Order: sequence, then C-alpha cells, then structure tokens
Amino acid sequence: MSEKRPVFALENLRVWVGEKEVVKGVSLAVYPGEVHAIMGPNGSGKTTLVQAVMGHPAYTVEGKIFLNGEDVTAREPDEKARKGMFLAFQYPVAVPGVTVASFLRAAVAARRGHDVPVKEFRQELLRRMEQLEMDPAFAGRYLNDGFSGGEKKRLEILQLLMLQPVFAMLDETDSGLDIDALKVVASGINAAATPERGLLLVTHYQRLLNYVQPHVVHVFMNGKLAKTAGPELALELEARGYDWLETSVGGGA
Amino acid sequence: MASTALPWTTPFASLGDPSPLSHALGEPAWLADFRQGAAEQARLVSLPNRARHLWRFSNPERFLPNQDPMELVPAPAPPPWRLEEDLAAAVLLSSTSVQVVHLSPEAQRAGVVVAPLGHAPVQEFLGKAVPPHHGFLEALNAAAFRPALAVLVPAKVRLEKPIRLRLVASGLSLPRVLVVLGEEASAEIVEGHVGGSKGSLVLGVTEVFVGAGGELCYDLVQRWELPVTGHLTSRIVLGENAKAQLALASFGGEATKVDTGVVLAGKGAEAETYGVALGTGTQHFDHHTEHIHAAPQSHSNLDFKVALAGQARSVYTGLIRIEEQAFTCEAYQENRNLLLSEEARAESIPELEILNEDVRCTHGATVAPLDEEQVFYLKSRGIPHHQALRLIVYGFLDQTLSRLPEKTRERIEALVAGRLHGEVL
Repeated sequence: MSEKRPVFALENLRVWVGEKEVVKGVSLAVYPGEVHAIMGPNGSGKTTLVQAVMGHPAYTVEGKIFLNGEDVTAREPDEKARKGMFLAFQYPVAVPGVTVASFLRAAVAARRGHDVPVKEFRQELLRRMEQLEMDPAFAGRYLNDGFSGGEKKRLEILQLLMLQPVFAMLDETDSGLDIDALKVVASGINAAATPERGLLLVTHYQRLLNYVQPHVVHVFMNGKLAKTAGPELALELEARGYDWLETSVGGGA
Repeated sequence: MASTALPWTTPFASLGDPSPLSHALGEPAWLADFRQGAAEQARLVSLPNRARHLWRFSNPERFLPNQDPMELVPAPAPPPWRLEEDLAAAVLLSSTSVQVVHLSPEAQRAGVVVAPLGHAPVQEFLGKAVPPHHGFLEALNAAAFRPALAVLVPAKVRLEKPIRLRLVASGLSLPRVLVVLGEEASAEIVEGHVGGSKGSLVLGVTEVFVGAGGELCYDLVQRWELPVTGHLTSRIVLGENAKAQLALASFGGEATKVDTGVVLAGKGAEAETYGVALGTGTQHFDHHTEHIHAAPQSHSNLDFKVALAGQARSVYTGLIRIEEQAFTCEAYQENRNLLLSEEARAESIPELEILNEDVRCTHGATVAPLDEEQVFYLKSRGIPHHQALRLIVYGFLDQTLSRLPEKTRERIEALVAGRLHGEVL
C-alpha cells in the first residue's frame, strides 16, 4: 500500500480548547482500504481530536490535516465534507423541524455537487435504510429529534453510506448499542470499508473491533499516540487496560 | 363641516367629520352613524402612551398618521392580481377601492356574499368584536375606515376552497374586514397584506364571527414592503362548539404591531393560533395575542415562533384569560424565539388571568441564540453555512407550521422559504 498516497494524514496536529492543549502533536497516515482504530481511556481527548479535525469552531488547531493529499487544515467543515471527509458523531445533534429525508437530500446534493432527482434519491435512501434495518417512516422524522441512542447511530451510518466519503472518522459509534444493533451498525461500517476509502474508528472498548477488523490500532493518551501496532494491540488493551501504557508517555510533555 | 380639535398633540391637527367620507362612499345611514359615534370615541379615547401596557415596547408615535385620516387622498390602482390557485372568492383591496376579482359559481349559488361593507347586512356585527373604544387606532379606523369588506358565509355552507383577500398598502390606509360565518358553516379565509412604500401606514381592523358549530381557518399573512408601518387589530368571536384556527405569519414592514385574538364566547368552543414571524435588518415586530375563555369547556392552544437576524427586534405578549364562569377549560401557550445574530433581540411575556379553579393551563417562553452545535453538524455533512442556517430556521418555524392544514402550511412554508432566501439569510 505504501506506494499509494494516504487518503488522510495528520502532521503534528495540536489542538487547544481555550488555553488548554488537549492534543499535543499527533501524526498519522491512513492509506486507501485501511481501517484504523484509535483507542484510549475516557476523557483522553479522542472526541476533541476528531471534532477538531472536522473543524469544530470551539478548537484552535496547529499542524496540518491532509485529505487525499490536499492540505485542508484551514478549510471550513462544509468544505472538508464536500471534499470527502466524514465524521460520525458520538452524540449527533437534533435539528427539530428538519426531516431526515430533507436533510439527507441537502447533504447528498452538497457532496455530489448537484441535485439528485427526488425519485432517484428516494430509491437510494430506502435501499440504504433497508440495509441498516431502518423503518422507512424514519425518513419523515425530524433529524435526531427524540431518537434513541441506537437510532442515532444507525442514522450516522446511513449518512456514511449515502455520502460516500473518501475518509471517515467514526466516534464511539458502538457506544449505547445492544448486540443486535451493534451487528447491524458493524455490517454498515464493513460495507463502507471499500478499497478506496480510509476509516478511522474511535472507540473506548474492543467490542466493535470484534466485528470490524482494523489494520492499525493506535492508543491515544495524554494528548499523544502512545502506541501504534496491529490489531493484536486491541486485544491486549482489552485484557490489560490502559494503565500499563501510562509510563511510556508520562515524561515528555 | 367643522373639524374638531383634538385635546392632545398629534401629528395631525384634527379629526374631520366623517359624513363627507360616508357620503362619498354611498353608505347607508346606520354606517354613517357608526362612523360619527366612532369619531366621538376617538376624541375620548386617550392617545396610546408608553405607560400603557400594550405600548410598552413600541413607540405609538410611529403608528399615528401625519394627516387627517378623513381626507380622501387618491391612491394608485393596485397592480393586477393573477390568481394561481382555485378559490371560492378573491378580493383586491387598495387604500381606496374594493374589487371582487373572483367569486366561484359554487360560492355564488351557496349565497356567499363578498361586498363593500356598507352594502352588506352586517349592522348588528360591526364594532362588536373590535369596538371603537378598543384603542385610539381602532377608534380612528372605525371613524375613517376604507377600504372595507364584508364576507358572509350562510349557515351550513361549507366552502372547500379558500377565500383570499389581498390588501395592498399605499399612503395611509385604514382597511376593515368583517366576516360572518353562519351556524355550522365552514371556510378558510386568507387575509394577505402586501405592497406599500416609504411613508405607507396601515391601520387595519378585522372582526370575525363564527356561529355555533362553525369552523373557520383564518390566515393573517403580512408581507409588506420593508418601509411600511402597520398596526393590525383583529378578533375572532366563537359561538357554541365553534372552532377557529388562526394562522399568523409576519414577514415584512419596518414596524409592525399586531393585536389579535380569539374570544371563546360559546360553550365548547375551540381555538388554535399558530404563528411565525421572521425579521431582519432593523425590523420591529410587536405581537399581542389573546385567547379569552368566556364560556365553559372551551379549549385553546397557541404556538408562536419568531426568528430574528440582523438588528431585528420582537416583542410578544400573550394573554390567556379564563373568566369566572368558564369552568373546565384548557388553554396552552408557547412562544419561542430564535436569535441569529448578536444584535437581534426578543422579549416574550406570557400573561395569565385565570378567574376560576377548574382549568388546565400551561405556558412557556424561550429566547435562545442559534445552536452552534447544530450548525457544525449540518456543515460537517457538506451543507454550506448559510444553507445550514436556513435549514435550522426553517425547521424551527416549520414545527409550528406543521400543525396547520396541509394547504395552509404549504402556502406559508413557501413564503418562509422565499423570505429566507431573499433577505434574511
């Protein structure tokens, strides 16, 4: 894979929330077809990392973010998304009054750069919803408004499948799911893991990784990648927890 | 005839005698008498001042005419109106003329009347829902109104298609609309305010009476040009088991004050008021609603939403009054305001006057800025900033509009979308 260009790369990324430095220099590269997992204890700043990469206005960012070889560090979130970056939110926001269908149609049109005929869009939407075992009535509901945790997560994956990004970050997509929902969501993620695309799974537990096989596992602690290894690292973390890694990052920053 | 000096300072020095106006409009004696009585009231009713409750937030001087309202000033003919939907009736009102553009054969056969107010048998209704002593501007309207229209829907007539009234602002206009729905009649009436230019002032009054078992949908849609100033007072009076749905939509105008409400006068009456306002620039909105429960077992619900950009300002005061003898009533009221800029401001003041114990009543009010997390979420899906804001505002308002009948909802949604794309965002 190494002769290929990464679909996504971070170069010494640092992120501040106000005065506080939360991400203290992260570099990584995701190549086409690769699934990476970022694991780390609660509160380690995993969500901050992916939200800042997407361009959340609350964060100050230093370093570089590359998408398909292009420096997108200074781009607005909507520009990044149109260029093919995607973030499945840990806590998707409700937008009452806006239906799932009208939201998705606007998003799909923005990503593809042109309007999609209503009928064609509808067929595609229904097909994808069926794939995720979602009730078609879902399309008429207000976006994330009154959704259960599982429904929200399914909707994030539905968006992933509809928007066909180049590179997607999935933030704790497994949390709050029962085992059946987890299987459905995992099958959606696997369907999205095509040879052209890069995925970055952010997770606290190894659970999702039983269903979605990562190629590379990173441990994120104290604002840095404490360790990067193959899928066996996830199992080791499951068995040993995170404490044993503490010493390896403790000193520096 | 001699005009009478007013005992206070107003921009106009006098309020003339109404008889020449009445004569020029060919009105019957009862109407001339009504105007005379109202002119006397106008001299008695005190000028609005800011100490008075409903004028705390709007400067009354903005709404006073700078000429004697009795003066007959010629107005330009309104632009022609091309009807785009199937209607029971369509009436075009300029500041000086009433033109029935369309009356469907079905409506005609059913005995529906749409006519200048003086030519319709409405003597027993005129001034009963909004009396001249309601306030100074209402007294001026009662003395000097024109154009004036009466709409009568006979008992048991159920109109499938709406009646549309288009009121075109120009100069000073004092429109008056009087609607009477007979027992068990049903109709939808759209009162649309358009037009106007710099210096245009509209002082309108609408009175609506719904007979026992009648069902009315009344849409009050204000989309004046931006420099217009206007004050619209309206009341709907419901008989026993009558139902009214009032749809409010305010988009245009530099300064708009709306005083509207429903009087649930008959046992078992039901009223629903659903409204939206959308403002930008330096627009000023002042909306007052009343649901007056005067009879037992009456129900009302109100949901009013306001979205403001720029330096726009909105004030909402909503009164629920449940009278002593009005037992077993339910009344709900909610007003939410969304601020899209740092400079926009909104006030929301619910008012409850509950004079008996056997009621269920709730109210809620919020004023909130745009939720940045919503904006980020939509942008993270590729939706550009302004489109994201429009979606959020549209959704915010549409939650209320979705309570309206489908056709009404679609009509107002189209106006919201047009205004969002055109000027607000």
